[in-house]
Amino acid sequence: MSLLYIDPGSGSYLVQVIIGAILGIVMFFKNIKLFILSLFRRSPKKQQDE
Amino acid sequence: MNECNRPLPSSYRDPAGFIFQYENEVYRQVNEAGRKDYDLLLQTGLYDSLTKKKWLISHEEMPAGFLSKNAYKILKPAQIPFISFPYEWSFSMLKEAALLTLRIAKTSLAHGMMLKDATPFNIQWHKGAMIFIDTLSFEEYKDGSPWIAYRQFCECFLSPLLLMHYGRISLHTMQVAYAEGIPLQLTSRFLPWRSRLSIHTYLHIHLHAKVARKNKGTDQKELLVPKNKLINLLGSLEMLVHSLSLKDTGTVWGDYYAEAANRNDYLTQKKTIIATWVEKLPALKTAIDFGSNEGEFSLPLAACSIYTIAADADPVAVNKLHKTIRESNIQNIIPLIIDFTYPSPAIGLANKERDSFLSRISNTDLGLCLALIHHLCIGKNIPFASVAAILAESCKHLIIEFVPATDEKSKQLLLNKKDIYQWYTQLEFENAFGQHFDTSEKQLIPGTERVLYLMRRSHR
Repeated sequence: MSLLYIDPGSGSYLVQVIIGAILGIVMFFKNIKLFILSLFRRSPKKQQDE
Repeated sequence: MNECNRPLPSSYRDPAGFIFQYENEVYRQVNEAGRKDYDLLLQTGLYDSLTKKKWLISHEEMPAGFLSKNAYKILKPAQIPFISFPYEWSFSMLKEAALLTLRIAKTSLAHGMMLKDATPFNIQWHKGAMIFIDTLSFEEYKDGSPWIAYRQFCECFLSPLLLMHYGRISLHTMQVAYAEGIPLQLTSRFLPWRSRLSIHTYLHIHLHAKVARKNKGTDQKELLVPKNKLINLLGSLEMLVHSLSLKDTGTVWGDYYAEAANRNDYLTQKKTIIATWVEKLPALKTAIDFGSNEGEFSLPLAACSIYTIAADADPVAVNKLHKTIRESNIQNIIPLIIDFTYPSPAIGLANKERDSFLSRISNTDLGLCLALIHHLCIGKNIPFASVAAILAESCKHLIIEFVPATDEKSKQLLLNKKDIYQWYTQLEFENAFGQHFDTSEKQLIPGTERVLYLMRRSHR
């Protein structure tokens, strides 16, 4: 680790772990929402293909 | 042969290498310590991918032994005509630099590498866009390792952008005071409470500041962030930066040009005279337009293949010019927020790390100083002699417009002044500038009392 010449900032690693987890949850629900919406809505791209 | 190239004063942080100057050109030395990551940059195809997109500056490798025997490699990057700093950029320029950093980080990850720092000083304005210039900022990505430059990104880019976004005012000068980034705690405290309602702002600023403060000094080297989480983190930052804007509160000048154009073709007349004079001057390469506003007079210079610095104190005007340049893909003009009466100082280690604005523009071929003199002398009480001395340091040729005290605009400036500015006369103006310049042309702008001068710096 001797080459790490910038101070990564104490606490900034831990916060990445926390934010990573929170964003994971946010993405999980977002994907569910998108999936449910896709059941009711045909994507414009598909319509073009038809 | 110079065995030990001397790094430029700003290039002392990175053990992997440094930049130095040789015969007025900038080179980058790669030290043995930087060998592995530099080789990886090329082998993984990341260098090709980034340079093809014009995100990273391209370079050529100099032959072995060039200028140094100890270096692993000496690189000659494409040369940047004018170096500028983030505190001279408008909001949208800083935003462009932030997005570029994130996109480069994402592309690096896809190639098994990552950015080891994230400061706007690694970015410059080149050929009409922001470009990443630090070839040695890339390191091997080790699976699970957090982003070492995450806090630096938040402090250097997110903090100023968010403060400007929520404050609805340009705070570019704040970056002079906090050149290494605005501390998260400070940003968190200054942002309005409603900024917490944005999940991305809450996470990257408010929560980040809180967690970092509480865990100061604890050993976190063992913490792991899986790659997909890191990609989510970058995506979240990108989404946030993308959503930020500086609300257009109107320029200081408002509809200056719309109004000025109505004055007896004032602008057209002025443009014609300047164009004729510029044509006569021998091979101009560089120009600086003081008080450029939205670039009305800088753009024609750039169109004549002159590299033009468009400097104005009004952040909104500079932002607008940046937009024009991006839309029309103009390559040789650089818009900067510069207050003539308060130009950027020299800052950093030994006051040598970042040069002052005036030292960077010294000996420009042509200076434009249009409809500015009354603002400086009547508006700010600056004597003619001081303005003349500054301009004589900056440019070899000068096109300057004298606005007499009887002009409508001067009268507006005089309205709330006690002083009657008896010294503000055309004769005094000519005397003061005569100390430094020889006038070769002088022309009254038809239909006005304003006079244009073409001057040449006299040999002292």
